[in-house]
Amino acid sequence: MSRHPAPDELLLDYAAGALPDGPALAVALHLALAPDSRRAVDRLNAVGGALIEREAEAAMDDAALESVMARLDEVAVEPRAQAPIRRPGFEWAPAPLVPHLRPGLGWRRILGMFDEIRLDLPGAFHRVSLLRLEPGHGLPQHKHAGYEYTVCLQGGYTDETGNYGVGDFAVGPGEHRHEPIADPGEPCIALIVVEKPIVLTGPWGRFFNPLVKRGLI
Amino acid sequence: MLSAEEAADLIEAIASRQDRAAFASLFRHFAPRVKAFILRGGTDAEAAQEVAQEALIMVWRKAASFDRTRASAATWIYTIARNKRIDLLRRAARPIDTEDWLVVYAPEGEDADKSVLAGQTYTRVKELLGDLSEDQLVVIRKAFFEDKTHTVIAEELKLPLGTVKSRIRLALGRLREALEKDET
Repeated sequence: MSRHPAPDELLLDYAAGALPDGPALAVALHLALAPDSRRAVDRLNAVGGALIEREAEAAMDDAALESVMARLDEVAVEPRAQAPIRRPGFEWAPAPLVPHLRPGLGWRRILGMFDEIRLDLPGAFHRVSLLRLEPGHGLPQHKHAGYEYTVCLQGGYTDETGNYGVGDFAVGPGEHRHEPIADPGEPCIALIVVEKPIVLTGPWGRFFNPLVKRGLI
Repeated sequence: MLSAEEAADLIEAIASRQDRAAFASLFRHFAPRVKAFILRGGTDAEAAQEVAQEALIMVWRKAASFDRTRASAATWIYTIARNKRIDLLRRAARPIDTEDWLVVYAPEGEDADKSVLAGQTYTRVKELLGDLSEDQLVVIRKAFFEDKTHTVIAEELKLPLGTVKSRIRLALGRLREALEKDET
């Protein structure tokens, strides 16, 4: 059981299809790694199925079935889906992340402190990144203007709110500062989805914040 | 009417022999229901019909990935329709096909994840919806029908966020309790 599951209301948002791309990816990665949360979403999907099954039929245009049947000749029934193949170096990536790992994406050293891969999600109002921290290393102290969603994908980290291992999910409310430190062992890799620009609060904050704002860091 | 068993048989017939008659039966049953479901969100009839048609075409394409031990036909079709609604109504073009990874791909390294939604369980969910309190049902319906996050729902109902969250937690708790017996 995941010690830090995603909250129920976020699972409902996900199952209902209401989440924007960034948070939806965070929840999908959590679900791939946390069986209890996955079962909760399975149940919610079954609610969706039951709601559809209970619907009275809305009249379709007469030609709807014929026009769809006519298109089937050009649409192949695809073979059963296989687990996606990971590129070397990305063996830790849960299946829903793999399509986002375009060839050529690589880690970039930021502020000499951690590594980042910025993911490019369509229409995202969120900044979606993979971060990698060496054991014992931390992120610069920061706070958030909006929500922040974190899923741990390898290793673990500890901050003021607790200890997080693979599959654990954290929702950071904006108001408090936090400073995650990677646990001993493997480097910690996490997906981080941030709603609004991060504000660095440490001594270097006022030098770096303008760069963060412009998306350079 | 189409039973859950019959619907699953039809999807498997598409997977194994590209059975067009099976597809037509599925279409007649599910397309009007998917359309009705999408209409509840305030979508116009033409767009709702497009979502229903595209969802059923996706059922044809992905039929081989359907696994009746993991989801009922209606549940599987719901997830496909939900993703089509996102693709067609919320965004113009997405470079990555929206797929429900949890439904389309079996979770890796784990095959004990069965039975959650198949057969009995799914019938129980239908019954259970009637047992939820009106307060809980309003939130669940708004989420599913209107494609809204709990934050937006709280604003629309003029309720504190905490109240909406606790209704969701109660509703999910009841679902879990009612289905736990089936899952073990």
